[in-house]
Amino acid sequence: MAVRTIEVRERVMARNDELAGAVRGRLAAHGVTALNLVSSPGAGKTFLLEKTLAALGEELDIAVVTGDVQTQNDADRLARHTTRLVQAVVTGGACHLDALQVSAALDAIDLDRTRLLFIENVGNLVCPASWDLGELHKVVLFTVTEGEDKPLKYPKMFQNSRYAVLTKTDLLPYVPFDVALAKANALQVNASLEFFELSATTGAGMDAWFEFLRSIVKQGAGV
Amino acid sequence: MHEMSVAMEIARIAEEKLGDQAPMLCTVAVELGDDSGLEAGSLEFCLEAVFLAPPFTGAKPEILRRPGDVLQLAYLEIDDGR
Repeated sequence: MAVRTIEVRERVMARNDELAGAVRGRLAAHGVTALNLVSSPGAGKTFLLEKTLAALGEELDIAVVTGDVQTQNDADRLARHTTRLVQAVVTGGACHLDALQVSAALDAIDLDRTRLLFIENVGNLVCPASWDLGELHKVVLFTVTEGEDKPLKYPKMFQNSRYAVLTKTDLLPYVPFDVALAKANALQVNASLEFFELSATTGAGMDAWFEFLRSIVKQGAGV
Repeated sequence: MHEMSVAMEIARIAEEKLGDQAPMLCTVAVELGDDSGLEAGSLEFCLEAVFLAPPFTGAKPEILRRPGDVLQLAYLEIDDGR
């Protein structure tokens, strides 16, 4: 018999997870708390970050790694709101960031001067759910112009996220969106999700988001 | 949507395991969980495309459906012509 079988039994994501573990260790060594922002395209990740940087960029020593399929547009937008480094990763077609890209991006960031790191993932509710980037938590954004059933349609993203941010709430008077139903759907796939409801445009709900960021940075510093 | 990234990682692991024997690869068996976030047909298509290139010439993917979210390279079959 010429055919031989070689048992492998190796998890396909093992290497990414190993790299993510190294990123996590590196961030911990510098006392940096990292949040991985995920959402469909257009849910408002960049705009939320712009407002967050303007309000807390200096106070919390925020740095950002932002990923896009093409262009540096998001990085350029964010750089207007902070003197802190914004590191862009152009994925060149890939639908998600991976731990190797984040690890390389960290080389360009002064981690000693960073307490809170945002990783703005590629806008996509499917693929980024499968990649651990070494973050403390994934934070999923979804918006009132999307359907209330988004969490049911894209369960893995909501299962793998610790926090859900409902964005663009200023549009609620104009769209038939049922906030209670959306939350119930999200809790159905992940009962321990915690929610924020906000409008980065009007500022409604932003205080709760800012307070959360302050508290999570404090915890990360062990204070 | 990220099946191609996964297919390329599977090829990387296979190459690591096989070394010089990579050209003899004939079957790549992947255990794919129903909740893994990957579409079986798409992954098979991507693996076929990846395994057209050297050092793997014409190796065939075999997708083994499983419950849960498992995603692992189960085994490789090589034909050493003996």
